[in-house]
Amino acid sequence: MSPTVSTAPSRGDRANVVTRAPGAWRTGWKKFKRNRLAVTGLIVLGFFILVALFTPLIAPYDPAKIDMMFPNLPAGSGNHLLGTDDLGRDIFSRLLYSSRISLLVGFSVAVAAVAIGTLIGAISGYFGGWIDSFFMRLVDVMNSIPLLFLNILVLAIFGSKFSYMILILSLTGWMSVARLVRGTFLQLREMQYVEAARAIGVSDWGIIFRHLLRNASAPIIVNATLMVGNAILSESGLSYLGLGIQMPQTSWGLMLSNAQAYMLIDPMQAVYPGLCILIVVLAVNFIGDGIRDAMDPRKKTLLTGRRFDRWRQSFLKSKT
Amino acid sequence: MAPKLLEIKDLTVGFLTDKGFVKAADRVSLSLEKGQTLCVVGESGSGKSVTSLAVMRLIDYAGGVIAEGEIKFHGDELTNKPQDEMMRIRGNRISMVFQDPMSALNPVFTVGDQIAETLRIHKQMNAREAWNKAVDMLRLVGIPDPEVRAGQYPHELSGGMCQRVVIAMALACDPELIIADEPTTALDVTVQAQILELLQKLKRELKTSILLITHDMGVAAEMADRIAVMYAGAIVEEGTAEEIFERPRHPYTLGLLQSIPGLTGERGTTLYTIRGGIPGIGDLPAGCRFNPRCPHAKERCFREEPPLLPTPDGHRSACWLESGPEVKTS
Amino acid sequence: MTEYLIRRTLQSVLVLVLISLFTFMLIHAAPGGPRQIFLSPGLSPEVAKIQAHNMGLDRPLPLQYLSWVGDLLRGDLGYTFKNNIPVGEIIWPTVKNTMVLMGAAWLLSLVIAIPWGIYNSTAEYGLSDHTASFLSYIGFAMPTFWFGIILQEIFALKLDWLPLSDMYTIGKKGDIGNLIYHLVLPVTVLSLGFLAGYMKYARASMLEVLDQDYIRTARAKGLKERRVVFRHALRNALIPIITVIGLDLPILVSGAALTESVFNWPGMGRLFVQMAVAREYSVLMAIALITAVFVIVGNFVADIMYAIVDPRVKLSRRGGAAA
Repeated sequence: MSPTVSTAPSRGDRANVVTRAPGAWRTGWKKFKRNRLAVTGLIVLGFFILVALFTPLIAPYDPAKIDMMFPNLPAGSGNHLLGTDDLGRDIFSRLLYSSRISLLVGFSVAVAAVAIGTLIGAISGYFGGWIDSFFMRLVDVMNSIPLLFLNILVLAIFGSKFSYMILILSLTGWMSVARLVRGTFLQLREMQYVEAARAIGVSDWGIIFRHLLRNASAPIIVNATLMVGNAILSESGLSYLGLGIQMPQTSWGLMLSNAQAYMLIDPMQAVYPGLCILIVVLAVNFIGDGIRDAMDPRKKTLLTGRRFDRWRQSFLKSKT
Repeated sequence: MAPKLLEIKDLTVGFLTDKGFVKAADRVSLSLEKGQTLCVVGESGSGKSVTSLAVMRLIDYAGGVIAEGEIKFHGDELTNKPQDEMMRIRGNRISMVFQDPMSALNPVFTVGDQIAETLRIHKQMNAREAWNKAVDMLRLVGIPDPEVRAGQYPHELSGGMCQRVVIAMALACDPELIIADEPTTALDVTVQAQILELLQKLKRELKTSILLITHDMGVAAEMADRIAVMYAGAIVEEGTAEEIFERPRHPYTLGLLQSIPGLTGERGTTLYTIRGGIPGIGDLPAGCRFNPRCPHAKERCFREEPPLLPTPDGHRSACWLESGPEVKTS
Repeated sequence: MTEYLIRRTLQSVLVLVLISLFTFMLIHAAPGGPRQIFLSPGLSPEVAKIQAHNMGLDRPLPLQYLSWVGDLLRGDLGYTFKNNIPVGEIIWPTVKNTMVLMGAAWLLSLVIAIPWGIYNSTAEYGLSDHTASFLSYIGFAMPTFWFGIILQEIFALKLDWLPLSDMYTIGKKGDIGNLIYHLVLPVTVLSLGFLAGYMKYARASMLEVLDQDYIRTARAKGLKERRVVFRHALRNALIPIITVIGLDLPILVSGAALTESVFNWPGMGRLFVQMAVAREYSVLMAIALITAVFVIVGNFVADIMYAIVDPRVKLSRRGGAAA
């Protein structure tokens, strides 16, 4: 499930899309900056990305190093910031290394799924006809089967490799982008500048990628952002079930699966990784919503209803 | 003297945007007597719809505020009436016809239902009486087979038919005033004529007063007893239809008249256009609001805003020009 | 109507064939082919060959597919490789258990989410709206299984108010009170996820409708605000909501593999995970097909409800939205 109802593609002044686009992005950024949640999300995500990049420098221990002498140490004891798990591995180090996996999965799946979805949506929307019906039926079928089942099935059959997981998550995540791109293309296909471009001999593919994608880019980015969050959640779920990341690698989902078995001994072990997932996905979703609101041409004023009501009351009072 | 049917005085309506409070209607004064038709004419963005929504107090729901002025209906002040009292007036004593009939009707109820609902609310009719009256209303507005049509949904009717339904709905409770906001704009030309004819007929037969909002001087010419010309949120000229058409004083009114094909110009002459566009409600010029587009603007026009001044023949115009612009017929 | 039914049936058959073919091919595309999966490990090549022959694995693929479909049509879902148990015997009880869990969570979340979302659309950015929006964000961003684990830690281990897992306490099978007792935690976990989605959807749908011209008309008629919202707006806003509910019907059986695994709930989702790990392909294929059937039923229900609530839609004229 995607956290937001996808926004209608922006319908602006079609005649001068080229000159308008940079302005739209700039005003968009201005609005984005004023959105406190979105900026917080950006800072938090940036923090996690930095941590993931510099993990080998920060992490005090090898995340896979088993030390059966000190299993299940509580937080803060024996130079282990957050303690150790059932095999004596340093939890803090494992959390750090897990952030790399999660972010890697999140971003690569989002990029791949957007690429697939954009391609299919563009082909569908531009050429129409039976190609379009074929792909849209495919989207319908894909949307109606429980995707977690499909992910489990594929990983169980082909084995739980990291690359397989990214592949299958991408292959089951492209539908919303495809729909969105197709919708935008259907609207834009009939526009006059496309006719004009065709008349001066720009090839079909040239038209698609130069003129049309520009118009769909904002909603695609929003969708991609939300997909990062979804992919991170899927990865953690699959790893929790034992079908995702395998030892000696580590991920937050895998850590949770371990921690559940030792709930009685050290309940905090289950708290950290889940909290990390929650925070990262929240941050990503805040950013996505922030971009969507900033790029939505219909959302002119940033005044909330309550602020408006308050203002209106004081305004009317000052009149009487 | 009995109070007028509708009297608007210095009405200022606006919206709060990120640029602050923006006036969409600026000290608008209008009055309408019983049985009369008053046309408010202006380009889109001139504040005419906002004024009409303010009279209905529907502006509250559109995020706007009546900041100043009064709206008196039979001498009864509307601007500070609580919404639940306005509800007894809306649809009952003042009703409204909207621009796009296809979207103004609720798609999930039959048209008969939608007319009957008004009657049941305001006239306390039971379901059967209301339905019968709804069918009668459909017949009155010239819908063939009203018994069948009443049971149909809006999407089963054409645009013109829908507008007749909306008019029937507005007339159902026998209101004293109908506000019609661009009632023909969304329709085909031939249908436009039919709807105007219908409004004329209803006005003659039912003696209803009409406040007609339009951007079309042609429509105003056909319908109006009095005309108020609005520009960028303010009334710039106001008078009887005859005064406005025969002796326009404001350059803007003149421009509007001259840009009607076939009214002042002859065949083969270049169509007159007013240069420039209407300014956004946030950024009005200093002085007269029409000065950037006015061919006669003088130094004073950039300095001081002209009030509505009486003209020699008794109508009012907001212009500093002493003699009024010459009517150019070339 | 007849035309609609015929087309709809044909579509459904097509989807079923596609899904069965897809599952079948997926399994045969596995590295090492189905033999490696289907045959017990550690067999000598000769024995393996005989076993493969007995299981029909040496026949051409199309024939294998047809014989599988033929068995399905006779109601034979096949047998597990381990212990040779009929697949049906394993699956059907879990279907029922899943429906109990999902049904409870689904209904609960619908009953809360839709009125709440509708209310919030009329009081945008109020306290209730902010609370709901906060809940939605959490519901979307929190891994459900983690929420389950945390609830277990607090309510089962720390406070000992509720059972840790399973569907019944041992020896109390069939006891409704005991079932409800066990349902509380997993239903809470599942509901939060559903709630987040439906609430946002109901609110967005209402907001869109409240912005329409016909709402202004309704107000211009002098209707009370309550009547404008609950009669004129709601009837329209419910159209997409009801359609989405119909389309979501399959979750009743597909269940929640994760939540069921956390709470050790004997449902189809957990079964699917176990069987996937154990590589019991006949069970997996059967579950995939049962789910597909529910998907089709869900789409069908959504179509019919759509036609009932929206007078603009006539079944005979509408091309099915979802295959």
